[in-house]
Amino acid sequence: MPPLAPTSCETTYWRSLDELAGTPEFRAFLEAEFPTECDTAGVSRRRWLQLMGASLALAGLAGCRWKKEEILPFAKRPANRVPGVPNRFATAMDLGGSALGLLVTSYDGRPIKIEGNPAHPQSRGATDVFAQAAILELYDPDRATGLVEHSGQDHPRSWSDFAAFAASHFGALKKDGGARLRVLSQASSSPTLAAMRARLLAEFPKARWVQYEPVSDDAQRAGATLAFGRPLRTQLALERARIIVSLDSDLLACHPAAVQYAREFAARRDPAGDWMSRLYVVESCLSVTGSMADHRLALRPKQIAALAEALEKEIRARLAQGASPAPAVAAGESKAARFLSAMAADLVALNRQGGHSVVVAGPRQPAEVHAVAHRLNRLLKNVGQTVWYTEEPDPDRPPHAEAIRALADEMHAGAVETLVVLGGNPVYDAPADVAFAKALARVPTRIYLGLYPNETARVCTWRLPQAHFLETWGDARSWDGTYSVVQPLIDPLYGGRSAIEVVAMLLGQQVPKGHDLVRETFRSIVKASDWEARWAKTLHDGVLEGSRFAAVAAEAADRPASGEPRGDFMESDWSNGQMDLIFCRDASVYDGRFANNGWLQEMPDPLTKLTWDNAALVSPATAAALGVENGTIVRLTLGGRSVEIPAYVMPGQAPGCVAVSLGYGRTAAGHVGGDPEAGVDPVGADVYPLRTCQAMEFQSGLSVEVTDRKVRLAMTQDHHAIDAIGLAGRAERLGALVREATLEHYREHPDFARHAVHHPPLESLWNEPTYQGYRWGMAIDLSKCIGCGACMVACQAENNVPVVGKERVLQGREMHWVRVDRYFRGDPDDPSVVHQVVACHHCENAPCEQVCPVAATVHSREGLNEMVYNRCVGTRYCANNCPYKVRRFNFFNYHKDLDAPENEVLKMLYNPEVTVRSRGVMEKCTYCVQRIQAAKIEAKNNRRDVRDGEIRTACQQVCPTGAIVFGDLNDPRSAVARAAASDRAYAMLAELNVKPRTSYLARIRNPNLELEGIA
Amino acid sequence: MSAFALPADDNTTNDPARRAPLVTGAHDLASITETVSRVVERPAPPPAWYAAISVTSLVALSFFVLVGYLVTTGIGVWGNNSPVFWAFDIVNFVFWIGIGHAGTLISAILFLFRQKWRTSINRAAEAMTLFAVICAGLFPAIHVGRVWVIYWLAPYPNQMSIWPNFRSPLLWDVFAVSTYATVSALFWYLGMIPDLATLRDRARTRLRKTIYGGLALGWRGSARQWHRYERAYLLLAALATPLVLSVHSVVSFDFATSVIPGWHTTIFPPYFVAGAIFSGFAMVVTLMVPARAFFGLRDLVTPRHLENMCKIMLATGCMVGYAYAVEFFVAWYSGSGYERFAFLNRAFGPYAWAYWIMVSCNVVVPQLFWFKKWRTSPWRMVLVSVLINVGMWFERFVIIVSSLSRDYLPSSWGYFTPTWVDLGMLAGSFGLFFTLFLLFCRYLPMVAMAEVKAVLPHEAQRARPAPEHPATQRDIVPA
Repeated sequence: MPPLAPTSCETTYWRSLDELAGTPEFRAFLEAEFPTECDTAGVSRRRWLQLMGASLALAGLAGCRWKKEEILPFAKRPANRVPGVPNRFATAMDLGGSALGLLVTSYDGRPIKIEGNPAHPQSRGATDVFAQAAILELYDPDRATGLVEHSGQDHPRSWSDFAAFAASHFGALKKDGGARLRVLSQASSSPTLAAMRARLLAEFPKARWVQYEPVSDDAQRAGATLAFGRPLRTQLALERARIIVSLDSDLLACHPAAVQYAREFAARRDPAGDWMSRLYVVESCLSVTGSMADHRLALRPKQIAALAEALEKEIRARLAQGASPAPAVAAGESKAARFLSAMAADLVALNRQGGHSVVVAGPRQPAEVHAVAHRLNRLLKNVGQTVWYTEEPDPDRPPHAEAIRALADEMHAGAVETLVVLGGNPVYDAPADVAFAKALARVPTRIYLGLYPNETARVCTWRLPQAHFLETWGDARSWDGTYSVVQPLIDPLYGGRSAIEVVAMLLGQQVPKGHDLVRETFRSIVKASDWEARWAKTLHDGVLEGSRFAAVAAEAADRPASGEPRGDFMESDWSNGQMDLIFCRDASVYDGRFANNGWLQEMPDPLTKLTWDNAALVSPATAAALGVENGTIVRLTLGGRSVEIPAYVMPGQAPGCVAVSLGYGRTAAGHVGGDPEAGVDPVGADVYPLRTCQAMEFQSGLSVEVTDRKVRLAMTQDHHAIDAIGLAGRAERLGALVREATLEHYREHPDFARHAVHHPPLESLWNEPTYQGYRWGMAIDLSKCIGCGACMVACQAENNVPVVGKERVLQGREMHWVRVDRYFRGDPDDPSVVHQVVACHHCENAPCEQVCPVAATVHSREGLNEMVYNRCVGTRYCANNCPYKVRRFNFFNYHKDLDAPENEVLKMLYNPEVTVRSRGVMEKCTYCVQRIQAAKIEAKNNRRDVRDGEIRTACQQVCPTGAIVFGDLNDPRSAVARAAASDRAYAMLAELNVKPRTSYLARIRNPNLELEGIA
Repeated sequence: MSAFALPADDNTTNDPARRAPLVTGAHDLASITETVSRVVERPAPPPAWYAAISVTSLVALSFFVLVGYLVTTGIGVWGNNSPVFWAFDIVNFVFWIGIGHAGTLISAILFLFRQKWRTSINRAAEAMTLFAVICAGLFPAIHVGRVWVIYWLAPYPNQMSIWPNFRSPLLWDVFAVSTYATVSALFWYLGMIPDLATLRDRARTRLRKTIYGGLALGWRGSARQWHRYERAYLLLAALATPLVLSVHSVVSFDFATSVIPGWHTTIFPPYFVAGAIFSGFAMVVTLMVPARAFFGLRDLVTPRHLENMCKIMLATGCMVGYAYAVEFFVAWYSGSGYERFAFLNRAFGPYAWAYWIMVSCNVVVPQLFWFKKWRTSPWRMVLVSVLINVGMWFERFVIIVSSLSRDYLPSSWGYFTPTWVDLGMLAGSFGLFFTLFLLFCRYLPMVAMAEVKAVLPHEAQRARPAPEHPATQRDIVPA
């Protein structure tokens, strides 16, 4: 690092005399501690103030490094800042090339909680788990903290060093038009990044810019190309679809627009509505969408294509038959055959009545299946009603697998002199057959910009810290094209810069200004003279009005099915050695990028309930044939490569196939996700070595070798294998705990849920308290809950719930205040699934309150079961006596790690409205009492009552399907009171006379009567 | 019984024509004093005592080290989890409280019922009670998450103006156990005063004279003192008697008043009391059989005493077995699926091994006491008693852990596995218990001399008016 020029650090504020004097010791210290600190050239006084103010709490960070610290109070309060009153800013998070609009809560300059943006058409206030957990990523102490140039050994560098390097290096590259320059980026929806790419390619005409995502919707693009001749994007309107057919598509959880689709789907799952939709799912491994299906068929991945073709044939035949269709279901046929004909008959019947359906194919399926879905939507006259098409941005982009292969080939051939990697982690997640790490070693200059010093960063010659999306300016488009500006809420904690800024630096800008770059793009998008005003409005609202993609008219080309059938979808035999291996996007770590996020690692998978691990999922019948149980280590061998991974017996999986989650086994993720160099074992098993460019989604020819080793899997449910007695006991009580019925049954017996359990009249020996004023309560609609787990992460973020780690999950000590119980019913190989969100029920007659010897858990006047942390001595009696088992005990000091100097920054994450609990005390869901109080204070200041919907608990707010309702039960017009009065409402374990305030609305399924009894 | 020859000193025949002696051998008043005091007065205890106490005190020390580890680290060092929030901690508590039942039962209830055979064993049994209650009291204290604020359980005036929650059975426990400990200690000490005076009078060193003199509270053995003493003893016995029944009833309320299937059971109070007496007597036998052998007390603690205790164990063992059976009946009869499941799960679920250990040790093994050979052969009955104690520990384990591990919602079911700290603290509590008992054997009169003298046959009382030891004035007072 060049000596710190005294003029470059002319700050008005100084922290010690050493600093003021600029002694060599101080400079050496500064360099060691904050390699970027000296890069304050050009930082205005205003920006410096911003930094100081926005990160007041960072003074705490400084406190551990310097013994003496001076915190300067605001001499003048910045505008719009009332101390202690949170501000909310609209922004957006881009994931895999599609964005979700967010609203971020900021306390005294530090963002602490992410919500969905109610104004955003996809979010409408809800988010997925990844957006919830992004706040933890922002403060992750393992993030890349400074620039490093690696030449023989690591040298700390500053951004001005990099600017100097870029000027000379890229100036030299310009001579041959950048023929040996390649840029590798992640998929991004950012128009500004696209603009920067265009500028870079204009400057370096022979350079190439490659995009790679390990998890992508390339099949969708290929399918659209097959059907329409160009890669159109399919948009759905599920709230208008009476029948939804999913061909291996997890559109409620693993779709870029999943939040929107889950909401629209749930809107039509209310049996009291005009009509209820019906969902058919054909898939290989049980997904969130599959768990909501009215009828589900498990097929091996290749068979789904066969089924799709058969479905098309069947529908064409039935449509041609005219008014008297053939009987839908012939008796005595296999389930698959009956499923197919019943589904086809249902679709055709609906079509005859003029109703609309949706057929959607999933990203795992090849282009042909997508083409079938497009044709079927045309045949069933869904286009323009429930399905429409928009132009795909960047239509010329080659598929990711192809792109990375071509790039790696060039690198192997030594044709690449400089590779700029903008985010991503190709060394870890590129297909195994391209040998990306080896190829990278042949590139002399490797520049990596990323959030983490990950596997790829560690082998690059320049490592640049990337700014988190909450720290930087940017823009993004959601799946439907809605444009949002990404605005920073805090100055970069670790001196990072965004991809657009780094590209600007490659183009010669010394100090790039992301803000200006984004405004430029905005101006070019809006193309109006009032763009400044619209910019301000977009910043405020979080969305640019009218920026959705326009629908385009397109007709799927009628390409008759090729003569020979694509295989038999009714075949159920399989043999080891010819099994299918399926790669799944992980519900927690995505493709591995969130591996260092403790919240996500500890969030149980919606269906396996696995935390901190991935596993080889096999169906019960297949498991029995192979002789494996949960936790048996199996060796998966495919194409000469093998991986060892524990098995997990997954009900509802198709026979003869093994599903594995991507994103585990990281070796340079950090202290959470694994970093053997730092003594942290990788979490889970890395299955990328089995993935090749030809088979990014699934491949046949897998052989499974069972070892005699076994590990325990950290599940939050069924911590232990359940014996016959337990299974019988569970089966016996399930009907009482989770009440469900078919739509038919519900219409005949609307009060069936109330009669599921018979018990003596519930009377009290005492005069029960009457709750005047507010009477808070919650209702959870089991028909809507898809079990995605967003509520768990949202609650964790809102309520400062600690992460406990794999060992303690194994012991059964996870701390989640709200959990999603998942139960299977019926045949293990073809089960139906139900999700049940369970948090504290705030019983009016709470068993926990009665037994606490020190009265640490007591009832409020509004009926909240309150936990007084500082009174709790930790007898744990309350938790024993809780029939819902929602109380969580601090077995250890789970915040001890915060004392480590490197973790000081994590303290900024905590919600200041919620106590951080100490060791030895009990904790549990409070119905987000801090939000209740905030709303009550606000209402009181305005001399009015709290309005219905004004208080939204964290779990309610995040829920994409609106399954959770909270409010005042004393107000008969409130949503929760109406829900609690619904004929579907029941209280779980009401027979204990604990009078829970949370009620459940029974789950209603809408099965096809012709298939009744087989699904 | 004909095939089995009784030993020569046997006093276990029940011949209505002949009253069985409660003291065997040629004992008179002086020799009884001599026999009991010798244990305390010999210059050095036997090497076996040293060997024993060095082991037990090390184990006891490890207990306190583990407590330190627990308090500084957190409850997580145990295997407790969600849903099994209570495990070894409360199992050990209930176990030790149960052990602590025999002493007061022997000294108070048997006293009121004029069961004179109690005199030889009541002192040791009461001492055992006290030590068991000490072990028991430690567990609820250290099992809380924040032991440094445990005093909040006490109803004391404070600046927070807050009382403990009187609805909580855990608070009732605090009162029940502390009352029981206080009364037991008082009762034990009061009964020991005349014997302490004997030791004072026989003491040869100044130190002994001072200590025993202080403890004897100026006892002179005057008729007036004897009168007051007997009154006080009777009153304390009357006071302690309901406590024998109440303390374990209250402990059982911890479970009975909860909503957890397998806990919420009205049979618990009598069932717990019977079990407590059962285990208490088993522990008395376990301790007294070696003690009478090592310290030469065979004549005072006779086979008849042991046989009587065996009979009580047989009776209470059958009661406990009956309770086990009734629990199943009630679970079935209640019509509650959760209740039925709790008991099926207990017997055939993941903790079936513990359940069947419990049933074999508590119901099957005591049936051996139908045979006189097993009731009169000391080492055989030790074997049975040890097994009964194992069984009674498992009874508490089964009740607490198996019920908690699977309650209402199957999603939250779990399994408890103890950690090394759990096992270490269980062992450590035994170390503490045995250490205290060994110290008691060495430094205090193990048998109530004054009371035993009163049950000597009249001719033995009159034979020699104990000229060397005039201090034992009891000699001349008629029983």
